[in-house]
Amino acid sequence: MSKTKITIAVTGLNNTDNPGPGVPVIRSLKESTEFEVRIIGLVYETLEPGIYMEGLCDKIFQIPYPSAGSDELIDRIEEIHQRESFDVLIPNFDAELFSFMKNEDRLLRSGIRTFLPTMKQFQERDKDKLPEYGEKYGIKVPASLNLGSQNQISEIKEKFEYPVMVKGKFYDAYTAYNTEQVKQSFNKVSSKWGLPVIIQEFVKGTEVNVIALGDGQGNTIAAVPMRKQYITDKGKAWGGITLSDDKMLEITRSLIRQTKWKGGMELELIKTVKGEYYLIEINPRIPAWVYLAVGAGQNIPEALVKLALGQEVAPMETYQSGKMFVRYSYDIIVDLEKFETIAMNGEI
Amino acid sequence: MKITEEVRISDNGFVFNSRTGDSFNVNPTGLELTKLIAQGHDFDTIKNMFLEKYDLDDLTFEKDFYEFCALIKHHQITSQEDPLDFK
Repeated sequence: MSKTKITIAVTGLNNTDNPGPGVPVIRSLKESTEFEVRIIGLVYETLEPGIYMEGLCDKIFQIPYPSAGSDELIDRIEEIHQRESFDVLIPNFDAELFSFMKNEDRLLRSGIRTFLPTMKQFQERDKDKLPEYGEKYGIKVPASLNLGSQNQISEIKEKFEYPVMVKGKFYDAYTAYNTEQVKQSFNKVSSKWGLPVIIQEFVKGTEVNVIALGDGQGNTIAAVPMRKQYITDKGKAWGGITLSDDKMLEITRSLIRQTKWKGGMELELIKTVKGEYYLIEINPRIPAWVYLAVGAGQNIPEALVKLALGQEVAPMETYQSGKMFVRYSYDIIVDLEKFETIAMNGEI
Repeated sequence: MKITEEVRISDNGFVFNSRTGDSFNVNPTGLELTKLIAQGHDFDTIKNMFLEKYDLDDLTFEKDFYEFCALIKHHQITSQEDPLDFK
């Protein structure tokens, strides 16, 4: 069967110790049995490793941070689209999703298809709204408190037992064992991600995750549960293994059915010794360990592209449990000219 | 007591629980016991097989068997309707 030629733009090529999902998304797309892909890499920084990985992207363009303004970002995307004419855009950062979701119609009018959650789906799963979310959709969540200022830190003692988790709105999470540590973490998190800072009850157990894809109609197109086997000091999985856990799949399917979730997602759960599951976070995008799901039998990026193109996709029901991924770091030797080109021209 | 169906037992003694992601190793005797339990043999059958095969008395077998059962229970690879039922 001949493959359909398609051009896809992908962000998140920062394969660092806090890896973006761009590189594994591209690897997954290159393994598609249905598409022959041409990849346009979109980068914010000139040192994102994906720029320098041979054979990964066909063209690379630098784009402005969403903080510079949504219009600037979308103008640049449209400008790149006029030159390279890509069919689908897959954004991979939490912080940029808002801009792309807000401009979904504008992008579509320009001929750029996306497959993102709706604004309502995106906003209601915000970390600072997790208790309401848990109650609405019938999922256990840890108790939490949103801190708008340092003065509220004293309220923690009344509501929680130490330790507690101190979390940023988008990223970062620290365990704090006393008020002093909460203050330190509060300053670190608020200076980087703003307010509120979220204080979350510490739930003891094993961290498990599910990568999933919803079709926007309530159907779960793909879902693979995973346990982190090796966690970095940034809390990122450096090794993981797929699980055969019906309860995790049931939680995922129930959530996607109720919310009619559209797009990729990652559920972060804590499984307690009693076998209870607490939802601690929903990432509204494909996570960086997506290639494990592909290895286990579910090519989620390929399915997402098909959904973005308006094609019917049958739910993927099976995967191999006990498949592992082990991440590694690798030094690429780069000629200065390549760095110079991206730094000076904003493209390669 | 049953070994849950998510558990995979390799011939070299590597035991993997695909529901929890846990894995551990058992020695050849542990492997033999695990396989016999997985095959659905009850306590008396396993005891008779062991007494016939090894130089072992009843009490030592029982003590070691229950200790082993506690260990595999700890690794969550077994299911028991009655916590005192090892048959």
